[in-house]
This record gives sequence, C-alpha cells and structure tokens, in this order.
Amino acid sequence: MSLQSTLERLATYRANNMRASQDIFRNGLLVLQKSSFKQLGDDGNHCGVPAGWTSLEQFALASIDVGRLDIADQCLQLIADKFPNSPRVDCLIGIRMEATEPPETALKYYADILEADSANVAIWKRRISVLRRTGKIEKAVNELVQLLDTFYTDVEGWLELADIYALCNQYDHSFQALSHVLLLMPQNPFYVLQAAETAYTSEDFSLAIKMFLTVVDMTDADDSEQLLQDSTPLGITVRAWFGVKLCTRRIAQNVNLRSLSNTSAPKNSELLDELATERLRVAYSSLGQKGEIAKGRQEVFAWVATPLA
Amino acid sequence: MIGKLFLTLATLALLHAAYSTYEHLSLLKALGKPEGSLPLDIVYESILALILGLLGASLNAPPLKDITWASEMKKRTIDGMDSRLGFAHYRSRGKFLFASPHDGKI
Repeated sequence: MSLQSTLERLATYRANNMRASQDIFRNGLLVLQKSSFKQLGDDGNHCGVPAGWTSLEQFALASIDVGRLDIADQCLQLIADKFPNSPRVDCLIGIRMEATEPPETALKYYADILEADSANVAIWKRRISVLRRTGKIEKAVNELVQLLDTFYTDVEGWLELADIYALCNQYDHSFQALSHVLLLMPQNPFYVLQAAETAYTSEDFSLAIKMFLTVVDMTDADDSEQLLQDSTPLGITVRAWFGVKLCTRRIAQNVNLRSLSNTSAPKNSELLDELATERLRVAYSSLGQKGEIAKGRQEVFAWVATPLA
Repeated sequence: MIGKLFLTLATLALLHAAYSTYEHLSLLKALGKPEGSLPLDIVYESILALILGLLGASLNAPPLKDITWASEMKKRTIDGMDSRLGFAHYRSRGKFLFASPHDGKI
C-alpha cells in the first residue's frame, strides 16, 4: 500500500474520530519501518501542525492500545525530541504512564501539571478518565462537572457525563447532559438518537417517540426526487424506526402515560406503528443495496407483525 | 479512460496546430509577406482541440461528492461520534488480544 494512501487512511480515521487501533497500528507500522514519518514531518501542513507528526501521535496511541509499548516508546521519543516543552507531549507521556504504572503515579503526574496550569483541558480530561477507570465515579463526576462549568462547549465532556450517568442508571441526569449536547450540536442525528434512546430507557415514551421521529426526519427526508415509498431506510434511520415501533408498543400498553418532561402523547400512535412496521419491512427486504441489512429478516418480520397491546 | 484519451488527442492536436502555425509563419517570412492570414485548417484544428479538450477534462473529472449534511452523516458511525477520545482508556484488553505470539512482549 502506498505511503500516500496510508496517510490518507490515517487522516480519515482522525477526521472521523475513530479509534481503530489495530488497523492504524498495522498501517502505521509499515510507514514507521520506512522511517517516513520523520521525512514528511515537515510537509503536508494541516492546521499548523504538519500532518506527519499528528499521524505519528495517532500511531503511538494506537500502539499503546494494541500493547506494543516498545514501538510506542520509539514514537514518543521521536515526538518528544522534536517538540520539547509541549503540553500535548506531556499528555502523551501521561497516557504512556497510565498504560503501565499504577494509577496513583499517573494521578500524581497529572496533579503536578494541573498545579502549574489549572486550565490544561487535555490533562484534566486524562485525570477524569483515570478516576473513572479506577472506580472513583463520584470524584470523576465532580471533576467533570467542574470542567464543564468552566468549558461549557466541550461536547466530548457532556457525552462522557451522559455515559457515566447512564452507567449508574441515572437516565434522567444522562438525558439532561445529552440535552446540553443537543444545544451545542443540534444538527447531528447521532446525538438525537442517543437522547431518544435515553428517554426511552427512562420510560418517557412520548418524548422518545418524538425524538426518534426527529432522527428519521434528519437522516431520511433528504431525497426529494424519490417518493418515500421508494426509498429504503439505511443506517441509523433503521435504528430510529425500531425505536418508534418500541415506543408505540409501550404507549399502547399503558393507558395513563406519565411523561417526566410533560410531553403530550402522540395522537395517531396506531398510524405511526403501521408506518414504522412498513418502513422496517422495506429496510429488511432490500437485498440489492447493502446486502448485510437483509440478515435477520425473518425475525424482524415476525416481530413487527405481532399486534399492539 | 475515454476522458484521458480525449485529453491526449486534444493536447496533440493543439501542439500540432501550434507547430503548423510556426511553420506557416516562417514560410510567410521567407516569402517576404509576413502579414498573410492563417490557413483555415489550422484554425479548425485548434477549435477541434478545444472541444476535445473540454470533453476530455469533463469526463476525466473525479466522481462527484455529496454536499448535503445528511449525506455526510450517512458515512459516519456511532463509534466515531461517541468515541470521546479525550477520555479514552488506554489500559484495556488490547494488549492481551493483539499481542502477537511471536514477540513475547506485552
């Protein structure tokens, strides 16, 4: 595989925030063996930091993940030599420390750095991550809430808070954190889906069904040339239709629905149920496009055919 | 492939027309009447080169990408959106799952 395509692949992973450590490790190893990371360290400029060095950082993190700490040490040495007093390098050293040393050592290292500069977001996040990993959930949540009070626009932080609350089964707090995410990134259907599923889990079916339908609207209402009958739901749209189906079923079962957010129940939930059934059947019938969706077809058909209530 | 073919033909035609013009002008200079007009077939050749070049460049263009936000979202995954890399744990099962049996290193 050529150098250019490997680097493009790594750049795609960076752009999409994917943590595909094994693939990154395999591809990056070839580049490292040709010692090309250093060569192109100074070209391919991307937002101020040359692309070669960000790829090297990504490769170092992937090798820590995969367990090849010898290679990770090599890369970290290269990076540390090039950028001597950088806070980003401090963060990488901290991560390397977390991988082998006991958590107290890492926490002490982070505490030292935070004493010198208490607004170092990356180090603060690493500290919260170590606290969460070692089971000190309450402390982690307190620190995370402090971080989010200081840096409100940190979407990652709000998502992490939502995740920690969901872990402790406090789904309404999780939903509140997700509502901040939705304020910050309103155009992202993935976060709306997560919020819808959290609302469903905290038994707020009216709100959940509204949000599932919002996801469908965001992801599927784009094809104006095609009639809805002819288009096939793909990707998270299918997941959203499953959510709608689940919600209509629960709404039909409880006659007096209590919604924590005081959302009114949908007026035509039987019609929504029929629509969701039809859309799921279409999604699981299309063998041509993306053949893997057709797996599990029989089970889905059987499930959607069971009557409401 | 057709695009590249057209582009090559157009380049060759243009170069040929340019060389013919040069030859024709040197002929006129040698004959002593430097203000003669260009023969029509050279003009037709260069116009043909232009049309072929346009066709070739259009056909040779890389495939069109979507510009809507929804189409960009279709390419993303939940793992990418929810990865929270700043809080990622680096002490995982990775080193036991992926350490190759040949290294003996963990």
